[in-house]
Amino acid sequence: MLPVFVVVLGCGSETIPSQAETPKIDAIESIDSQSVEMMISVTQETRQLYQRYCAQCHGVKGKGDGINALYLVVPPRDHTKSDYLETRTDQQLFNAIKLGGLAVGRAPCMPAWEHTFEDKIIHTLVNYIRELCNCKTL
Amino acid sequence: MRIVVIVLLFLCCGSALPALAEPVEIRENGCKECHRFSSHDKEFYKGPDLFFAGNKFYKNWLTKFLQSPMVIREVNVFSGSNVLREESKAIDSHVALKEDESERVTNFLMTLRLPNLELGKVDEEPLSKGERARAKVLFERTFGCISCHRALNLVGKVRGGVSGPSLINSGERLKPDWVFNWLKKPQQFMHEGRMPVYDLNEETTVLITKYILNIRKNP
Repeated sequence: MLPVFVVVLGCGSETIPSQAETPKIDAIESIDSQSVEMMISVTQETRQLYQRYCAQCHGVKGKGDGINALYLVVPPRDHTKSDYLETRTDQQLFNAIKLGGLAVGRAPCMPAWEHTFEDKIIHTLVNYIRELCNCKTL
Repeated sequence: MRIVVIVLLFLCCGSALPALAEPVEIRENGCKECHRFSSHDKEFYKGPDLFFAGNKFYKNWLTKFLQSPMVIREVNVFSGSNVLREESKAIDSHVALKEDESERVTNFLMTLRLPNLELGKVDEEPLSKGERARAKVLFERTFGCISCHRALNLVGKVRGGVSGPSLINSGERLKPDWVFNWLKKPQQFMHEGRMPVYDLNEETTVLITKYILNIRKNP
């Protein structure tokens, strides 16, 4: 029982995924092999989707200060700061949104949006995050 | 023979009777300014939709809630821009009704139902210790529900986000069939919610439904 509790208590910590989560990583690798450098521009719909879904945790202006932020063990990512985001590729951001934090070795509090958004929408959200941080991958 | 005919006529007419008339309290208290009573109404995102209240809420809980409202979701959501604003974490007080008013409104709300929901999928068998541990992992880690919903940690302390409704003591409020259907296909209740859509199989949906409805905090 102890290992189960350790896993539960780990919610919010940025731990390496456990053995049981390996299939998700396989899924990421298969996505990596695809061409995802799709140029999909940010539209008003993208901004509205960000406000509706992402702002709950990441904040209306993407500063990581959404309504839920105070209650999360790991603060939501500040999308206006380039320090971290320029170390991530667009593909990594895409995977984090699509498959959730846990699947990419980050905080499990970030859920997977793969059944909510089509891939092209997720690409536009990645581009919107790039707009917010005014940064590209290094 | 005559009695049989009369009984048959009564049964036929009875089934064709219109739903319970809307009580005046709904209009007098401006309920429709915050809640949708039909799926065709414009989406408000301020108070929860009530056009499936009969599917969703337990009658006893709703009657008591209308007399002594409590906070279920700590944020107000503005309809204009559909944006959750920082300043929205202010709670509008819900109107309180008298006992007889509350009963009339509840009786009406219980008639508001959606057809074609999957019923009877969640049995009354309590979760075993192992199932509960598995469900907790799914709830907190796999699906990240804790990010937006209030729940309890291992020692019974309140934790979790506030943009979604609190799930503490939700078993007193929500019917298992409704939670099952919401988790399985939220689009049948709301065109676009704020919750991620999950592609859950039936077993997982039942497991999480039971887990959610058993998040209990003793008074």
